[in-house]
Amino acid sequence: MDEIVAEYIRRTVLKIPRDEIKTVLQKWGFLSEAQLQTINFCQIKENISQDVVQLCEENSAGIKQAAVLDIIYNHIYSNKRVWSVYQMNKTGEETDFFDLTDFKKKFKRRLHSALTNVTINFREYEDNAIWIRIAWGTPYTKPNQYKASYVVYHSQTPYVFISVSVLRSNLPLLCQALVAASNYHDIHEMELRSHSLNSLKDIVFKRYSQNFQSYYPRPIQERNVAPEIDSRIIQENRNEKERIQRVNSEVFGDGPQPKLEFARYKLETMFKSDPEMNVLNKKEPFRCLVKFSSPHLLESLKSLSPMGMADAPLSPLLTCIPHKARNYFKIKEKKGVSPRSFVSP
Amino acid sequence: QEEEEGPLRKKSSCFPHIATSQGMEPGQGELTPAFSLAGEWQGKMEEGKAYSPHGVFAHLEMLEARAHEADLKEEEATQQEEKLARLKARVQELTLQRDELQAKVDLQQKRQLEKEGVASDPAQPSAQAVLEWKIKRVKAMLQVFSLTGISGKLTKQGVCFCISTAYEGTYLDSYYLDLLTKPEVRILRHSIPIFIPLEQLAKKYLQTDIRRFLSVLSNHLNAYAARKYQADQLQEHFSDQIEGTLQTNSLCNLLVFNYNVPNKSKTFPFNVRLLYGDLCSSIPTKAPASLAEMAAAHSDLFCHVALHKAFRSFRNAGESVAGAP
Repeated sequence: MDEIVAEYIRRTVLKIPRDEIKTVLQKWGFLSEAQLQTINFCQIKENISQDVVQLCEENSAGIKQAAVLDIIYNHIYSNKRVWSVYQMNKTGEETDFFDLTDFKKKFKRRLHSALTNVTINFREYEDNAIWIRIAWGTPYTKPNQYKASYVVYHSQTPYVFISVSVLRSNLPLLCQALVAASNYHDIHEMELRSHSLNSLKDIVFKRYSQNFQSYYPRPIQERNVAPEIDSRIIQENRNEKERIQRVNSEVFGDGPQPKLEFARYKLETMFKSDPEMNVLNKKEPFRCLVKFSSPHLLESLKSLSPMGMADAPLSPLLTCIPHKARNYFKIKEKKGVSPRSFVSP
Repeated sequence: QEEEEGPLRKKSSCFPHIATSQGMEPGQGELTPAFSLAGEWQGKMEEGKAYSPHGVFAHLEMLEARAHEADLKEEEATQQEEKLARLKARVQELTLQRDELQAKVDLQQKRQLEKEGVASDPAQPSAQAVLEWKIKRVKAMLQVFSLTGISGKLTKQGVCFCISTAYEGTYLDSYYLDLLTKPEVRILRHSIPIFIPLEQLAKKYLQTDIRRFLSVLSNHLNAYAARKYQADQLQEHFSDQIEGTLQTNSLCNLLVFNYNVPNKSKTFPFNVRLLYGDLCSSIPTKAPASLAEMAAAHSDLFCHVALHKAFRSFRNAGESVAGAP
């Protein structure tokens, strides 16, 4: 077995938390149950990884199997990477029979035609997600397995989720290959980034909770039973509280929110001051960057009004994030009579 | 107190006038009495009272007193009027109340009589019961309406449609479409899966024929739900006959899998590639499979019957040779 492969497998195993190593190896399926039984998973990780490499040596693992292990690791711990969303466009209206084998063939062919030193691996999951791992090299060097790019694509959708490695110079090539393989015409990056891949999927596939009005709503999951209220306690602001709850529910929906870590607003608006004060009255826009960050941004925005920290309804600039599928905004002056700002598309 | 001081003050202000004017006093036409009066006045001022029954001051005093009395009388009169009005209003109020109570008492008496007397007409339900029944009926109507597959509710800005999918008696997912009606019909937001060609359909039909748009969209969604349901059913109930995994895609319009058909204690492996050309259909348009004889029959079967039903017929055919059901 190649030294590089052995080292790569060892380092990948070291990344996994000790309690999860066995499950991940089982998912990998390269080592048999019998072989897995021989490993003592209670020793320190260093030793576990050495044992695994030993067994892989016996099975003659190649770079392909090592890459699959890496994909599995990244699939389980996808929130360790930052994912960006790209959107593809096409003009044709024919029914698309997406054939997986066809897709893989085209993708590989396209990449290989431009760059021979690449390692490409695929793995399909139950929810129709296709994971692609690409390790890049140059015409003179072998692929760098430690700085691979990952692509997640759902068939027959115009969205691709890419987690790029440090080498951004290979991005145009990757985009071209994706477009060619999936029968689209062009691709561009959306202003949407997050650590949580599933939340990004929820936002663009419109799977997040939206509150639709209907006469016969489908039964939703049981909410927490209202706690026993002491009749001696009188809620003075009950009407206001209920109004806030209602408005919040209309805007955010009732279910869990997609998980985003930040929202960034780049302001290019004019500073509006009293003309007499003569402060920054030049025609130059006032440049400013506002960044909201949180472990779970949308949930915290949702709880602002009920906690009394902000008025309900919240500013549409904040609440439009899942609907517009973006968390990077550029706010410019509205050109016209009224000097109000608008969000650039 | 003010009243008493008033005339005093007035008189003191009158004092310079009288001193300069001539012929102001009504009764006397000479100057001298004025001076004498002034002197008198000074004296009286010291006393603090002015009583002279003759002369200007007396007259003024009298006038003032009269005015004061008139004022008092007027005030009293208005007060009396107000009181009268209040009392009249109260009387009206009380008469109204009395009438209401009277009516209630009468009704009660009537009911009492009815109970004791002949049994009241059972076909005369109370207004409350009628209202409840009406509400129940409307709710049931709305429920039935939503079960038809396409239902809607008017919103502030437009309409919100709910498209429910179903396949052969099983209700599957529901999808929502929030539309704006002004200034033109547009989609505000929706929960339609991304791989359904919503934009294409909207471009074609939304502005011109909304019914057709909804109908076509409903067909797409129902067909997708049906194809997915068939694939799921196949995997759930016939996993023993399937080799490996089912290769499919998001729309479930391409299915490739290997399956076994038992035939005379031998199993024949097949590979089939189901193509659903019509996105509004839950039956494949092409189904090329390997192994000619059986394949032709199977191919035909796939193009006519639902997926899991076809498999059921294979199983039922069992040991028979040419697997045609």
